[in-house]
Amino acid sequence: MKEITTPDFTDAIGNANEINELLRRFGVKFGIYKNGEFKEQFFPFDPIPRVIDAEQFADIENGLIQRVDALNSFLYDIYHDKKIVRDGIIPEDFIYISSGYLAQCEGITPKNKIYSHISGIDLVQGKDGEWYILEDNLRIPSGASYPLIARELTRIASPDAFRKNNIVDNRNYADLLCETMEYVNCGGIRAILTPGRYNAAYFEHSYLAEHTGSILVRSDELFVEDNILWHKTYSGQKTRIGVLYRRISDEYLDPLTFLPESLIGIPNLMEAYRSGNVGIINAPGNGVADDKGIYYFVPKMIKYYLGEEPILKNAPTYLPFYEDDRKYVIDNLDRLVIKDVAEAGGYGVVFGSDMTAEKLGNLKDMILSQPRRFIAQEVIDFLDLPILDDGQTVMRKADLRAFVLSGETTRVWASGLTRFSRNPDSFVVNSSQGGGFKDTWVRSL
Amino acid sequence: MKRIYFYFSTKLTFDDYVHEHSFALRVIPPETRTQHIVSCELSISPITAVNQTVDAFGNKVTAGYIKGDHRFLDFEIKGTAETDCTRHRTDHLPCYLYQSGFTKPSDGLKALYEQAAAELHTDNITDRVAHFSEVLSEKFTYRKNVTTAHTTAAEAFAAGAGVCQDFSHIMLSLLRMNGIPCRYIAGLAFCDGETHSWIEYFEDGCWKGFDPANNCLVNEDYLVLSQGRDFGDCAIDRGVMFGSYTRQLQLVRSVMKAS
Repeated sequence: MKEITTPDFTDAIGNANEINELLRRFGVKFGIYKNGEFKEQFFPFDPIPRVIDAEQFADIENGLIQRVDALNSFLYDIYHDKKIVRDGIIPEDFIYISSGYLAQCEGITPKNKIYSHISGIDLVQGKDGEWYILEDNLRIPSGASYPLIARELTRIASPDAFRKNNIVDNRNYADLLCETMEYVNCGGIRAILTPGRYNAAYFEHSYLAEHTGSILVRSDELFVEDNILWHKTYSGQKTRIGVLYRRISDEYLDPLTFLPESLIGIPNLMEAYRSGNVGIINAPGNGVADDKGIYYFVPKMIKYYLGEEPILKNAPTYLPFYEDDRKYVIDNLDRLVIKDVAEAGGYGVVFGSDMTAEKLGNLKDMILSQPRRFIAQEVIDFLDLPILDDGQTVMRKADLRAFVLSGETTRVWASGLTRFSRNPDSFVVNSSQGGGFKDTWVRSL
Repeated sequence: MKRIYFYFSTKLTFDDYVHEHSFALRVIPPETRTQHIVSCELSISPITAVNQTVDAFGNKVTAGYIKGDHRFLDFEIKGTAETDCTRHRTDHLPCYLYQSGFTKPSDGLKALYEQAAAELHTDNITDRVAHFSEVLSEKFTYRKNVTTAHTTAAEAFAAGAGVCQDFSHIMLSLLRMNGIPCRYIAGLAFCDGETHSWIEYFEDGCWKGFDPANNCLVNEDYLVLSQGRDFGDCAIDRGVMFGSYTRQLQLVRSVMKAS
């Protein structure tokens, strides 16, 4: 296999500013709320791609497919027979205290039993070369559109890089997504539901709608009548929607089932869904499977549902809920990373090594009084990737969000969102914490 | 077994015309082991097509959509049922053991629980339920217009008084702290001009009814309309509508008598 040499994408690097300018013009932004105020941030693109060779990616692929299949089995089980709880694999508390568990979804069977149609699985590569799963995102993982548009622009800026190297074309994401949507279509058109342009991922909503040939809608354009979801057309007619890729969270989805104060939901959507008249991507209630506390149990799920050994490892994780783990966590708090299971987007993540003795003491008290609320993990010394900073190449921490799509079969998109921290001392790469992104090149054999 | 006649009506009147009105009603009493529905007729005005589904908690949901302008929504049920409190329901969900949106205890409720639990000298679930209700009826007064439909157990307890819904929520909170699975019931009862609320607790694989507002066991004078973790799962009517002015006036009337 030919090595990828830097000169093959020097054009891209030389054009980094132009690419970033184009991204800015296309509105590739990331919105965040800080102190109650909405701010749109440019999501900085770094032109040096992360390169993963074919063999390594094949391993990751197998591991991800296995993991997502087990998670889908788990979700079906939890909302039906609950065998994994009855068999004592997962303590009941972890399911029913989780804010992601929605009792309103009990007994609902989504079309073809798929709950997580689009899974965003976050991984990191350790310095030993081993890949570890950091987090599963099974609700509404965002990010696929960023490497997609970056690839489009890089191909224009640096066509030679793609002519000379065997890189798997990642522009099939829209086709994969389309097939995934069609597999659970209950009869009608495809629609992507956005809360509107003030949402952090609005660029992505519009981009994916355009590229999958779905209509981009807000909730006030939709209504449920006769247990069917309809789109109001400009001429006053109505068109039936067969599958809804919603980009709003569960709690806001239907004000007659969940939060009554929701203004961005569709009344009686859940009745249409329960009756099998519309597919919802991803299924409501998935949060019970990507809860930071449930993460600990995913390797056990793989063994339980599939009878297989997990191919990809979890980061070593401790649950203070268990007495042995609690003692270990308290004794080693100053070198562990502690995560609050209720928070997302890099919030509620603290490193023991950064904390003063007083703060460590407070955290210990909190863990002892609310052990279910936290998980603790060993800090993985993960691989640094080169990024361009003012013309210089510097090394920064980076992770990878891989996208797994579950339709007739489960498939992994041969690309992914590589996020890096711009702060040399930080391990937190979330875009909401000011990081940037790279394209991810998977080499073909 | 007792044969009863039931009637329940709600009139919603809006201050101005509303449109694109979606609603979900939970008013049709379910057929269960403890109540046989001999007949039940639902009428809705303005006349509109509706769909029936069954939700996660086993409630019959009547969903509808009124597109055009209207100033009211009236619905009523009437029918005959046979109730039998010698039999019990068995449909269970594990979530009934855990605190839910309306029942999360405050420090005040926790203190009440600790105090009540310290006086407990029995493992028998029915006796424990009776004890908690006894304590509750000493600390909490029945009074209207203190709380609203959105008041939580913690808020109601802090206010010191409330209606049947508040009694049920506080009771659920106490029982769940004690590890007893229990659920909220919305229904109709004798001697009540509106809807009533009580609770059910799970013992020996079946549900038993208890009325905390009246501090007594449920008998054949009670008709279940819906059940869930708390009021949030059982609201008789929920609706979303558009209009410049959607304030509404609600009139409710119910009748239950021996048939």
